[in-house]
Amino acid sequence: MGMLFDVSHLTIGFEDKGQMNKVVNDLSFSMDEGEILGVVGESGSGKSMTALAAMGLLSPQAHILDGTIMFDGKDMLALSEKERSAISGKDMSMIFQEPMTSLNPVMKIGKQVGESLRLHTSLSKEQIHEKVIRALSDVGLSDPEGLCKKYPHELSGGMRQRVMIAQAMVCSPKLLIADEPTTALDVIVQGQILKLLRKLHRERGVAILFISHDLNVIREICQNVIVMYNGDIVERGKVLDVLEHPKHEYTKTLVASIPDNTTADRKRRPIVTMEHLNVFYRDHEGGFFNKSGRQQVIKELNLQVYEGELMGIVGESGCGKSTLAKTIVGLNTDYNGTLKMDEDLHPQMVFQDPFGSLNPARRIGWIMSEPLRVRGIRTKRERRNMVCDMLTKIGLDSSFYDRYPHELSGGQRQRVSIGAALLMNSRLLVADEPVSALDVTVQSQILELLLDIHKKGGLTILFISHDLNIVRHICHRVAVIYLGQIVELAPVDEIYKNPCHPYTQMLFESALSGNDSRTAHFAPDDIGADIEDTVIGDTGCPFYPRCKYRTQRCEAQAPDFVNVGADQEHFVRCFFEGKITLEKNELHNGDMHII
Amino acid sequence: MKYILKKIVTLIITLLFISLITFTAFSVIPGDAATARLGTDATPEQVAQLREEMGLDDPLPERYVNWLGGAIRGDFGDSYQYDTSTVASLMADRLPVTLILAVMSLVLILVISVPLGIVSARYAGKWLDTLINQVSQVTMAIPAFFLGILITYIFGLILSWFQPGAFVDPSVSFWGCVASLIFPAIAVALPKIAMVVKFLRNSILSEMPKDYVRTAYSRGNGKSRVLYVHILRNALIPVITFVAIIIAEIMAGSIIVEQVFGIPGMGQLLITSISARDYPVVQAIVTYITAIVVIVNFLVDILYRLVDPRVKA
Amino acid sequence: MKISIKKKRNYNLIIGLCLTGFFALMALVGQFWTPYSVTSMDPLSVNVAPCLAHPFGTDNFGRDILSRVMNGSGMTFFVAICTVLMGAVIGTVVGALTGYFGGWIDEIIMRINDILLSFPSVLLALLFISFLGPGTVNVILALGILFIPSFARIVRSEMIRCKELDFVKSAKVMGVGPFRIMFVHILPNTLVSMLTAAAIGFNNAVLAEASMSYLGLGVQPPLPSLGRMLSEAQSYLFNTPWYAIAPGVTIILIILGFSMISEGLRAVER
Repeated sequence: MGMLFDVSHLTIGFEDKGQMNKVVNDLSFSMDEGEILGVVGESGSGKSMTALAAMGLLSPQAHILDGTIMFDGKDMLALSEKERSAISGKDMSMIFQEPMTSLNPVMKIGKQVGESLRLHTSLSKEQIHEKVIRALSDVGLSDPEGLCKKYPHELSGGMRQRVMIAQAMVCSPKLLIADEPTTALDVIVQGQILKLLRKLHRERGVAILFISHDLNVIREICQNVIVMYNGDIVERGKVLDVLEHPKHEYTKTLVASIPDNTTADRKRRPIVTMEHLNVFYRDHEGGFFNKSGRQQVIKELNLQVYEGELMGIVGESGCGKSTLAKTIVGLNTDYNGTLKMDEDLHPQMVFQDPFGSLNPARRIGWIMSEPLRVRGIRTKRERRNMVCDMLTKIGLDSSFYDRYPHELSGGQRQRVSIGAALLMNSRLLVADEPVSALDVTVQSQILELLLDIHKKGGLTILFISHDLNIVRHICHRVAVIYLGQIVELAPVDEIYKNPCHPYTQMLFESALSGNDSRTAHFAPDDIGADIEDTVIGDTGCPFYPRCKYRTQRCEAQAPDFVNVGADQEHFVRCFFEGKITLEKNELHNGDMHII
Repeated sequence: MKYILKKIVTLIITLLFISLITFTAFSVIPGDAATARLGTDATPEQVAQLREEMGLDDPLPERYVNWLGGAIRGDFGDSYQYDTSTVASLMADRLPVTLILAVMSLVLILVISVPLGIVSARYAGKWLDTLINQVSQVTMAIPAFFLGILITYIFGLILSWFQPGAFVDPSVSFWGCVASLIFPAIAVALPKIAMVVKFLRNSILSEMPKDYVRTAYSRGNGKSRVLYVHILRNALIPVITFVAIIIAEIMAGSIIVEQVFGIPGMGQLLITSISARDYPVVQAIVTYITAIVVIVNFLVDILYRLVDPRVKA
Repeated sequence: MKISIKKKRNYNLIIGLCLTGFFALMALVGQFWTPYSVTSMDPLSVNVAPCLAHPFGTDNFGRDILSRVMNGSGMTFFVAICTVLMGAVIGTVVGALTGYFGGWIDEIIMRINDILLSFPSVLLALLFISFLGPGTVNVILALGILFIPSFARIVRSEMIRCKELDFVKSAKVMGVGPFRIMFVHILPNTLVSMLTAAAIGFNNAVLAEASMSYLGLGVQPPLPSLGRMLSEAQSYLFNTPWYAIAPGVTIILIILGFSMISEGLRAVER
């Protein structure tokens, strides 16, 4: 195989506040035809810049200072704008991170997918349409004819990313650049998109430059990997070699980054008890004419949170896990059923987005003093002392007192949020995806902080996450939520060893195993129809439409929540009561890579 | 369709609401309408008789219903200041003039500002853009009446391109009327042209860094095609709403500009009627202008739905 | 409210502040001292063209135009400050309450707001004047009421935006009361957009006051006012064009000053 893409000595500078900072530093690598190369690194490591430079998409502040980018024998940086346009979309194309915003909102899907053909070929309208239809069905989208006439906002995120892939692949390019293509997607959809890319690679022989911050994703799809840190390549080689024998310090933190929870689960008394809890959500304020959409988000939920435990709640976005969190801390009062908790619990919440959770107009000291003012601590000096103490406790120092939130990094902001919650004398911390907006290395630091305060203060933590790896490492018990119902609830080791609900199994299957170091698994190409548009019947098991093992009974009748555990509590809401694991083994010829 | 029905209901409610407010407001104004009409030296008997005739002694809701019934039929009663004229006949003379002036201004605004806005955005940061920007900024600061005075002085008195005060009635010659309104229309349009240019430029510039634009480039689109095929339609959507505001502003601008150039339109009638406390006329003009503004807003709303696929409910 | 340091100076803000400052100072001085008396007429120097003694000439009654502009712009600023203050204070309270609590009262008030906002301010001011009668106080009242919606809308939309942000949610979880959240937590975030709105408000107020006075419905004679001076000047445009220059240019520069400030503030906002 010949060389397709070659970057040598590439140096890119970024203009910021009148200064030129090097964001890519003397970068050299090359790709053969049909190769999949992964580039991994944190945000700001310069990993996307290279791809954008090759496509001529750098923002005006970025300047190429040195080096060459050769593609298919052409010097990309020496081409005129017109010559480069002739290659973009035809021989080299790109997909981006945000499927929700990457398509033109006022142009129909068919026209957008066909645009490259229109620009690069002399095909007739009918021929283009035919090719568009084929491209859309190739990426696993059903009803491509109908889809052509739709606008992007009518599609789910997963479908839009498929459309993005279709529009990138429609001219059969030699190189596809994928810039964090699965980061914005749910676990299951993420798995499907990766499978789809693998399939396209195998069938069409397209080379893929796969950029991601997530090593687990990289290892699913790539043969070779480059690790970037601060604009430099710090490590390169076969994915498995790099994973198993990381040499550079940064790679080491990247590979083993989730701290383990060493505290034992001492089940004592419940501090929060939910019985038959139904929670509703109003999606917009009703006007004179608009009926307000009041939807039931949580259905008949029963759950107890024990004192001093770290309880994990997992599920896809939209399953109701965040609504549950808001209900517990009192932000959502539209519910019925029982929600009992200790009187002096003061449940506090840590939010996902570190940039929205601190008041941008106030200094850190003021923000962290607010809980003290609420508690009625009157003197300013006392408040200041307590805040400064807390700042050291959460790994910052008192110099942060007078800073504004925008001067802090994402991790530092999350620390401040946690500190403010602790100053409220909270005994229950509800953490809603507290680390998913952070870089991998920062993630582990914040998790360590959480574990630390959990250990020292006996703080109970409700940890809501879509990241099954993290939950596995730090939680004592896990509840899996699907469409507002808990479908499985068990101690963490038990549920990972023996997942009983088909949905839990599906989640674990799609999730990319972080710790076992077996070869990258190439599961059968079940690229899946899109799951987000499945319709739920009123009666029957809510998971019925997506379930592989469904029977007529599942459609007619809803299963109860029963204990299937032998020596410990293991609840599952499924008629099979966990007996499907065996069947599954038979079904897939023992291709059980996680269980 | 359901949406349009809803909107029409809202439209009617709004119109009724505003007419009720203006009617009530004019009814509680200190100073009796009958006295105002007869003058201060009228005997109390005369005033009482006129009050009776004008129906001023009836309770307010009844008077409102009567007035509304007349208004729907186009009958707004009699003018106080012009003894022989009904309000309707006064309006019939004035309304066409104002409408011609407004439409001319709107056409001028759209024809000039859209290309200028695109050019300005395309060469953002270059000298052409800077020039357009600075000129717009100064133009926006000129009050319509001073602009009218400047135009009268420069083009009327110095250059003698038109004769100040000369006006051709549309009933005499439509195109003659249009010709005589060119400079007034420019006076109305200029500040608004500057506003639309700036708005469109900023709208285009705010679209440029969006993700879908990057996708369009990645397909091999050139700069112009990205601008005209992808960005422009997105950028024009907010401009549609802005044009509704502009149309309302044109109505306001023409009131003043009519005064400056001595054009016998609704604006001039409104000012003289306010000064003469001729309330039936004021009421009628307010109702008309309200209706125009509300209906324009309604149409713009419908247009917005047609252009932006995302808001189709 | 991330304020980024740009290497480019914010010329709009600087020039705008200078212009406004200069005219504000001139207007202030004009209240206590002017080169000639503002109202006394001098039959010996009627319609004098600009010269050393009268830099902007005199009018048809022999009054010094510079003196009248200095004094008259004071009225312009006075009206503008009163109306913007009135609009801002009432608008903030209305916007904060309706935005934060929502519900049907919000719905009704915002419908009224929308209707008011879809009308040009000069037209509405004319209406108010036709109820209240001409005069300075009435112009202030009319414009002040008219400015309430624009401020209310800004504060309301900021309230609605921030209400959904996590920092407000976390304040709620802590048990901070709604009024404290509104005015202590959220309101500081609206500072820059409020200042921008105030600058635009000044801009509109100056324009509206001048227009009303031009139409003879605002400041009443013999007090000088820029708009009224222009309406008088129009009759003598052919013979004494200078009569119109000084008041006209003064209005333009005052408005330009405010619009440049608002432009500059918007750059800060970004």
